[in-house]
Amino acid sequence: MFLLAMRSIRKRPGRFLATLLSAFLGAAVIMTFNSMHDTAAQSGVDRVSKETLTTAASVVGGYGTLLVFFAVASTLTVTVRQRTAELELLRCSGATPGQIKRMVVGEAVAVALVGAVLAIGPAMLGGQALLGVFQDSGQVARSVDHSFGPVALLSGVDITLLAAAGAAFLAVRRATRGPRRAGRARTYLAYAALGLGAVAATSTFAFSATDEALMAAPAYGAILLSVGCALLAPRLLKGVLDALPLTGASGWLAVRNLRRRADHLAGILMSLILFTAVSTATLYMQAVESDAVAASGLVKSVDAKNLESLNYTVVGIIVVFVCVMLVNSLYAATSYRSREFGQQRLAGATPGQVLGTVGAEGLILTVVGLFFGTVAALAGIVPFTMVRTDSVLPDQGLGIWLAVASIAAAATLGTSLATARRVLRTPAIGAVGLAA
Amino acid sequence: MFRTGSRRKHDAGPAAEALRLVKVTKTYGTDDSAVTALDGVTLALARGTFTAVMGPSGSGKSTLLQCAAGLDRPDSGIVRVDGHELTGGGEAELTRFRRGRVGFVFQQYNLLETLTVAQNTVLPLKLAGQRVDRRKAREILTAVGLGDRLGHLPDQLSGGQRQRVAIARALVADPRVIFADEPTGALDTRSARGVLGLLQDAVRVHGRTVVMVTHDPVAASYADSVVFLADGRLAGRMDGPTPDAVAERLAHLGDDMTVGV
Repeated sequence: MFLLAMRSIRKRPGRFLATLLSAFLGAAVIMTFNSMHDTAAQSGVDRVSKETLTTAASVVGGYGTLLVFFAVASTLTVTVRQRTAELELLRCSGATPGQIKRMVVGEAVAVALVGAVLAIGPAMLGGQALLGVFQDSGQVARSVDHSFGPVALLSGVDITLLAAAGAAFLAVRRATRGPRRAGRARTYLAYAALGLGAVAATSTFAFSATDEALMAAPAYGAILLSVGCALLAPRLLKGVLDALPLTGASGWLAVRNLRRRADHLAGILMSLILFTAVSTATLYMQAVESDAVAASGLVKSVDAKNLESLNYTVVGIIVVFVCVMLVNSLYAATSYRSREFGQQRLAGATPGQVLGTVGAEGLILTVVGLFFGTVAALAGIVPFTMVRTDSVLPDQGLGIWLAVASIAAAATLGTSLATARRVLRTPAIGAVGLAA
Repeated sequence: MFRTGSRRKHDAGPAAEALRLVKVTKTYGTDDSAVTALDGVTLALARGTFTAVMGPSGSGKSTLLQCAAGLDRPDSGIVRVDGHELTGGGEAELTRFRRGRVGFVFQQYNLLETLTVAQNTVLPLKLAGQRVDRRKAREILTAVGLGDRLGHLPDQLSGGQRQRVAIARALVADPRVIFADEPTGALDTRSARGVLGLLQDAVRVHGRTVVMVTHDPVAASYADSVVFLADGRLAGRMDGPTPDAVAERLAHLGDDMTVGV
């Protein structure tokens, strides 16, 4: 089975590109930040520098790891689902479920290992750049050298491999067991995240306006709420679809496709919701904080600066990461629909109508994702603004949100439409004949 | 050039000749590796007939069907469906040409898995922007024996039932010609008989024209006539086919190559 796994990777490297990409990016993010632990652990690093570096590593270590887990898992779920036919064939040729499981998990681990190893170089450069940012802002002494050591290497490789193996195991179990209702565990997890998020967001009120940790509670609240929403995404999507009065052949098809595929689209919605919530919440809170500091006429302390640069770096990395994931999983999901598009065309759909359907689906997804992401973000922003200033909403206006929304819309619609266009180049009759 | 208004009602009544191919040639590949799938095929089928196209693998049956149905464009020659010539243009134009003129039944059904039986059936009407007559759709589905399965999804149906949905879908838009590509290829004998009976009814009861590609002499015997194809050329024709006669003829297709009909 191991040999078969290696052979199937060698023969079809393209298939594993999505997994490789997410493993690579995930490992790079984890290693970059964890190399700060290594850097701080060097002898001769002063206390302030050490604290800055450790905080940076721990903060991102927390939800960065969670994010990587989600990303690798959602990519693997999509790619394993697309191989159901192949797995079925293996089962018919006498492979036991255990053998199939070992093959898929083996493949995932091998690909993740390659991704993690490839990520070492970029993570070293990234770590150096990150250290440079801290040094430029004066939070870390110039004398500190970047170090890429065992913590970075082990955490990066371990987490990526663990995420890949776990996700592949769950995905193949789901694929070989046939369709089943979403587990109850997922629902509990979702409600737990929502509950904790609400508590975290509410606990903001327990802080005073000038507390340095003020931003932590609402930020975690917003992220947890968005994770909860993301876990409930299929159900939320179905609820929205029931209320949509879409007419026209493309809209009609889009609504029906989304309803049946709601469970499959969870990963994409999850990326959208997380992207919106994390970037909106962090950017608005940081803007409110900066304005409040400026208004008070005080010079920013090292800690405040620390927090600001950390916030922007974290948002930057997470936003890029989630955005790439979104594009990645949308590309994988759309290119897999070649056969379905062929069937639509044979039933009398023009290429324009197929694109119209894909566009309508993308639009509905974007709107739903943006809505729940924004709600989660607001749950963090509003308490923070109320405590930090006297108003309820930040006075920064809609600018930041519009930028976030347009990036989300461009990534979602752009990827699905561009991929669909490419897929449509195969003649319809050829597309339905291809083995799925 | 044909007009392509999607809501346009059809011209006054069907033409007497449902399908005409004149010297249709189709080659795949280039230069050295070129394969001539169709080599100057000329064929005319009258309205209200049930014709089977037979031939060994690689004889060009499927290419013939795809060219005749406007799924693919021939390299040269003329294709007329219901008196209208298939001309150049992009895929969108070909699609509009097929709407209302052509219906399909495939070996692999090609139903959309996200749509129910009833939704799959009315899909061609939806896509063509026509009013959806749900009562008529239900009547057709009842006629093919699926009146109690309207809300089922394709993966809840057996192969034979799926193929009946495909036939209902092909019938609902009142096409001039129904093309069936190995419609019984994936079915057991009993389901196959049911499906062939439905195709026969479409011709005898409803006056449609059916062209069916098959390699099964029993399936071919349901047709009014059989057209044989070998190496991309017509190799004879048989009216009132019986399974034995068709099998006998197929076995000797290579011996008596007669070009043209």
